[in-house]
Amino acid sequence: MVTPGVKGRPRRLRWIAVGQALLWATIALGAFLLLAKSVQNSSLFGRLQLWILIVDVGGVIALTVLITRQLWRLVRDYRAHVPGSRLTARTVGIFGALVIAPLLIVYLSSLEFINVGIDSWFKVEVKQGLSDALGLSRAALDLRMREYSTRTQALAESLSGAPAADVQARLDVERRATKALEVVLFGEHERILAASLENPLENLPSQPPPDLVSQVAQHVPYVSLDPQAGGSYLIRTAAALDDRGGRAPARFVVAVYPVPAQLAALSEAVQSSYSQYGDLAALREPLKYSFRLTLTLVLLLAMLAAIYGAIYSAQRLVRPVQDLIEGTRAVGKGDFATRLPLPSRDEMGFLVHSFNDMTKRLRRARSEATASQQAVERERERLAIILARLSTGVLAVDRNLTVRTANAAAGAILGRDLSAATGQALPELAAGNERLGQFVAALAVRFAAGRQEWREQLDLDGASGRRTLMCACTPLPGEDSALGFVIVFDDITTLLQAQRDAAWGEVARRLAHEIKNPLTPIQLSAERLRRRLLSGMNERDAEILERGTRTIVQQVETMQQMVNAFSEYARAPEMQVTRFSLNQLVTEVADLYRAQDPLKHIRLELDERLESIEADRGRVRQILNNLVTNALEALDGVEGPLLEISTRLENTAENAYAIVTVCDNGPGFQRELLGRVFDPYVTSKPKGTGLGLAIVKKIIEEHGGHIDADNRPEGGARVRVVLPVKDSTRTAAAGTRERRDQLRRERA
Amino acid sequence: MLRGVSTREGSTWRGLLVACALTLPGLGVSYADALDGILEVRSAYVNIDKGVFLLHARVEYPVGPSIREALQDGTTLSFDLDARVDRDRRFWFNSNLVDLTLRRELSYHAVSDRYVVRDVRSGDQSTFATIDEALEFLGKVDAWPILVEPQLDTGSNYTISVRAGVRRGHLSASLRAILFWTNDWVRVSEWYTWSLPV
Repeated sequence: MVTPGVKGRPRRLRWIAVGQALLWATIALGAFLLLAKSVQNSSLFGRLQLWILIVDVGGVIALTVLITRQLWRLVRDYRAHVPGSRLTARTVGIFGALVIAPLLIVYLSSLEFINVGIDSWFKVEVKQGLSDALGLSRAALDLRMREYSTRTQALAESLSGAPAADVQARLDVERRATKALEVVLFGEHERILAASLENPLENLPSQPPPDLVSQVAQHVPYVSLDPQAGGSYLIRTAAALDDRGGRAPARFVVAVYPVPAQLAALSEAVQSSYSQYGDLAALREPLKYSFRLTLTLVLLLAMLAAIYGAIYSAQRLVRPVQDLIEGTRAVGKGDFATRLPLPSRDEMGFLVHSFNDMTKRLRRARSEATASQQAVERERERLAIILARLSTGVLAVDRNLTVRTANAAAGAILGRDLSAATGQALPELAAGNERLGQFVAALAVRFAAGRQEWREQLDLDGASGRRTLMCACTPLPGEDSALGFVIVFDDITTLLQAQRDAAWGEVARRLAHEIKNPLTPIQLSAERLRRRLLSGMNERDAEILERGTRTIVQQVETMQQMVNAFSEYARAPEMQVTRFSLNQLVTEVADLYRAQDPLKHIRLELDERLESIEADRGRVRQILNNLVTNALEALDGVEGPLLEISTRLENTAENAYAIVTVCDNGPGFQRELLGRVFDPYVTSKPKGTGLGLAIVKKIIEEHGGHIDADNRPEGGARVRVVLPVKDSTRTAAAGTRERRDQLRRERA
Repeated sequence: MLRGVSTREGSTWRGLLVACALTLPGLGVSYADALDGILEVRSAYVNIDKGVFLLHARVEYPVGPSIREALQDGTTLSFDLDARVDRDRRFWFNSNLVDLTLRRELSYHAVSDRYVVRDVRSGDQSTFATIDEALEFLGKVDAWPILVEPQLDTGSNYTISVRAGVRRGHLSASLRAILFWTNDWVRVSEWYTWSLPV
């Protein structure tokens, strides 16, 4: 009954139910009318009894089937715990008990009453009374009948020898004397010989009945009491005349006497009672049987109708409740389109109406919430996309440093994947990550100090060197400041490095330009002084001059070397890109240094997949020379010196890169220098310009690659060089890097 | 003189339904039936006298110790003679033209010790010394006008049916209604049917 939209019991079903009820009512009424009519007419009864029985039995069977079906459904629903079935069963049970109990009592009482009542009609006393009354009536009438019979016999005797002329007169005298209605003398073949009538003008003598004729023919006097229509009685007497002396009489006399009205009425009353009693007595058992059967059928029909009515009423009562339950379940599952049919205008109807109103409001609210949520989701997606694309790290934490949001850049900067860190505590995430640990400690210190909004630069040291972050913290807008903060930070290490590189480049250019030029005249002047003055000086002065000019020349040469190195560092790249085998070049460099210092073991591990790269072969060789030279110098004095050089091809989704790793088992980089090993004049060696690794880094960046340095956990330094395999990657990376550097410079 | 033969109607179904109705509540009873015995229309015919169709019939009514005893006990018996005239129709049910019942009652007059036959319609009554004489009287129906010629259409076929019936008891309508469930108080013969060519 409950589905989305306005639903209710289809009107068609209601009309069918009403139609069925009308049909059954019509059939029942028709059967009743036919019954009433048929019992008055035996002919009709014979014809209609069959159909009436069909209707009755059909009705009982139909009702039984309907109820059985309904009860079966009820039991099935009850076992299946269908909502409302228990209430229906309880209602049916209560209704049934309320109806069936009094019905049974009435039925049993009526049955007993019928048995006792009908039996009381036929009490012995009643029957005996009727018999006595009947006997009394008969006795009274017999007296008169005998009297009239005697007079008729006397009349017959007197007429036997009387002359024909006197017959009529004697008949008249006799009739008047006895107040008879008629006195008739019959001859042979019942021929009337003479008659005396009370009303001769109105009546004719009555025909003697056959039994009278046959009786008097045997010379037996005849007397009978004839009941008449209307309740009167006639006494008919007859006697044969003694005409032939023992033969069949030729003549007989018949006299008809009225019975006095009072006696006739009493006798008729007795007769009527006797007859009615007889009728009833004859139908005593059929009556009792019919009463019992009728009562039983009425009881059955009433019980069945009551049960059916109880089921129907319970279902009507429970249906809105079931609808409400189903509707509530549907709403619980999120189906707010559920609408229930209005059962009526009573309290249940009000409840259903309220439910429909509630679902309507819920549906509207959900639509608004969904729209709002979608808008929020869109905004969130937009923000997520922006955050994901940002190179700036964004981290939202609560006061307990539990991560609420972190973008990919934050994880990349802090060296820890934070994509799945939402809900986790930052200190826990920082375990094993030195850089993140320092970051968390810095945050904790500031939050502990009660600082909610700050902007500072943080230096984080790690195995891969120092990273410099520019951090800005602010409380989350619209929330309690104690609950959350958002920290936005940028890794400005590269930017700072670029600034340093740019500064050193400028220094190098100025050195090359400002210092290099005067060096040659200084050297030439010193040499000229020695040549001019040396020959004219004494030995002691000559020695002083010789030592001084030599020092000047040596220092100038040293300065020239330094200036050349700076010039090399500062000069603009002129790439001579060719395709060559990196593995072969690495092998050549390794062989060269093996020959120079065979005590230091150089081990190669080359990736055969790395066939060739597009780069400036001479400058790549310079990179390798510098790295190997540095590493071999670091191995001085180390027991079991070992230098490992490996190459590896690494393919990404977009490009392919050649990775060269140079490792040694020396003392490694000093920790305080780790972040600055590629800066000019940063060196731990007593000799050297400090420009080797700076130049290496510059060359690598000119090739579109990058370099990083760290210390191996087992000890020793490790330098990792990444070079693009194809030159097109270098040009694209150079453009991107320039744009990024430009952007960072602007922001800085 | 137009005679006919008797036919049977489907009494099996009725018996089945009656049995069903009686056994439904499990209260079926049985008792001696005073109307047992032969009940049939022995012969019947009609003749036309001055445009009036007169029915003559000979009926045998049941005579037995039970019916005699019932009469002696005061029961009134009704003797019916049903007459129907139907016009035959080929494609539909026959149309009923005449449906008459001749009803007479037989009772034992205990005061006079005579059997009284009374015509219910006219009120005429006759008395008989014995039940045999009364039944003989009841079994002879002569010149019972049932139809007049103007009621008939030329060219149509007509069927005359005669049936005898007897029922006992002389009860009020309310009591009679109660007796609907049992047909023990009433018996009818099979129809005695013949065609009436016009």
